[in-house]
Amino acid sequence: MDKSELMQKAMQLVEKIDDLPTIPVIATQVLQLLDQPDVKLEEVADLILTDQVMTARVMKMINSPVYKPGSEITSLKRALVFLGMRHIREIALTTSFIDAFDQNSGAVGINTFWEHSFGVGMVSKIMAQKVGYSDLEKAYIAGIMHDLGEVVLSQFMRDEFIKVLESIKGRLVKLVEAEADILGTTHCEMGVCMARKWNFPEVYCDVMLNHHTPVDASVDPVLCAIVNLSDLFCGVRGLNYDGMEWISFNLQDEPAWKILKQQCPKLVEMDVERFCYEIDDAIPDVKDLVASIFNKK
Amino acid sequence: MAISDKDFEQLRDFIYNICGMYFHSTKKYFLESRLGRRMEACGVKTHSDYYQLLRSPRGADEMKFLMDEITTNETYFFRNVPQLAALENKLLPELVETKNKMGFKKLRIWSAGSSSGEEAYTMAMILLEKRSTLLKDWIIEIIGTDINETVISQAKEGVFNSYSVRNVPDVYKRKYIREENGRFILSPEVKKFVTFNKLNLYDDSKMIFMKSFDFIFCANVLIYFDTASKSKVVQHFYNNLQPYGYFFVGQSESLHGVNDKFKTVHFPGGFAYKK
Repeated sequence: MDKSELMQKAMQLVEKIDDLPTIPVIATQVLQLLDQPDVKLEEVADLILTDQVMTARVMKMINSPVYKPGSEITSLKRALVFLGMRHIREIALTTSFIDAFDQNSGAVGINTFWEHSFGVGMVSKIMAQKVGYSDLEKAYIAGIMHDLGEVVLSQFMRDEFIKVLESIKGRLVKLVEAEADILGTTHCEMGVCMARKWNFPEVYCDVMLNHHTPVDASVDPVLCAIVNLSDLFCGVRGLNYDGMEWISFNLQDEPAWKILKQQCPKLVEMDVERFCYEIDDAIPDVKDLVASIFNKK
Repeated sequence: MAISDKDFEQLRDFIYNICGMYFHSTKKYFLESRLGRRMEACGVKTHSDYYQLLRSPRGADEMKFLMDEITTNETYFFRNVPQLAALENKLLPELVETKNKMGFKKLRIWSAGSSSGEEAYTMAMILLEKRSTLLKDWIIEIIGTDINETVISQAKEGVFNSYSVRNVPDVYKRKYIREENGRFILSPEVKKFVTFNKLNLYDDSKMIFMKSFDFIFCANVLIYFDTASKSKVVQHFYNNLQPYGYFFVGQSESLHGVNDKFKTVHFPGGFAYKK
């Protein structure tokens, strides 16, 4: 099945979902404000502050061990300064998205889903640093958002998605391939359709679409390669939707590694072994962060 | 004295750069207590002063004492569980398939720096379990080598203490280990698969004869070598490994900067090296 057919099918399926979450009003307002020239940080902060949930989520993400601020950041304005103006858009979208998908009613447990997503985000950020990719926050957010389509499938096509999950149990078949076989589309296309509805910047849509096929990435192949490899690393670090596949991979033979080798001169210095050990160290931080974000008490 | 995150990271990086052993955050308190002993012995009050001492001209000698504190010479059966699981579930079946296609039903395994034999015998037990299935009609050779003759004699004897066998899964324990007055005696069935020889890994004239291995294990040995010696020894492992074989090091070890020919293969909970 070629990619245009998969995309066609995803568009049809997404259109059929009646109660697909829409982007929250406050996020739309933040995005509109950010589109205005000469917008001031104070104005954005004031607007976000009108939404307690969004404010709380931004503060939690900023104070997580993933960002490691020197000392705890207690005001939203300082949080935004820390993030930088260019990333407020993504944070507004990401926090809204988390908010829209925090119900534990899908085929995959919501904590399991977010642990994988934040895991890939965190590993992407560490890897971005190692290979000399300049925008670490972009890597973090791209990692968090890469499997957007998976949560759409899990929550809005629950029964069909359970069939997909059942079909790969005990078999060495990739989830994405089983989706294409059974649903006629995959989480990659579903994610993009959802993201476009929410006006996510195109660079993130490209990662969602091509994180299993990084050679097809058109906007930022290096970013896509980073997320692809981080996804594989999370797969062998227990953040793989409860370990649905018994996987192994030869890093240096991965197409994404070859992309990084061509485009990131700093890759030759990368200490792969140490990188693995640092991931081990960061996994408990990811689990704590997810628990703190989704713990409603 | 409690170690700060900054001091921990600094000392962890220093140890990693010198010997290629990474201290995970979960081992912070272990490192803290072992450092405490060395700091007291040296009369040093703070972690940061101890770090300066390690970097001073006296540092190389002190590093040897520190290594004695932070490494343990004791080994035990089923030590590296993720590595063994990967081998059993993925790497071994793939290798068997490759060799079956070639019509070459022989498996050669080397435990380099085998000490009293726990690693080599662990492999023997795992493979023995597959004698009627995956490895039916296969010839299995497991070789353990060590520079120390005393540990080789112990390995050949095949009698262990309770510490050594504490991780052995019950299914293996029942079949292959017999307890007698607090000593744990390995069955002859397991012992017959393994031979032990004295070998100095620095000895080029002997190393070139260790040919054609499918799996080579060298855990917690290379950390004591300087970079030049490590490179030389690892090159021998590289040469003596089959093209489809795997080379394994210890749980927190790294060969970064030692050999740039090996590729890394990643599996749940760890990685191995491949040509």
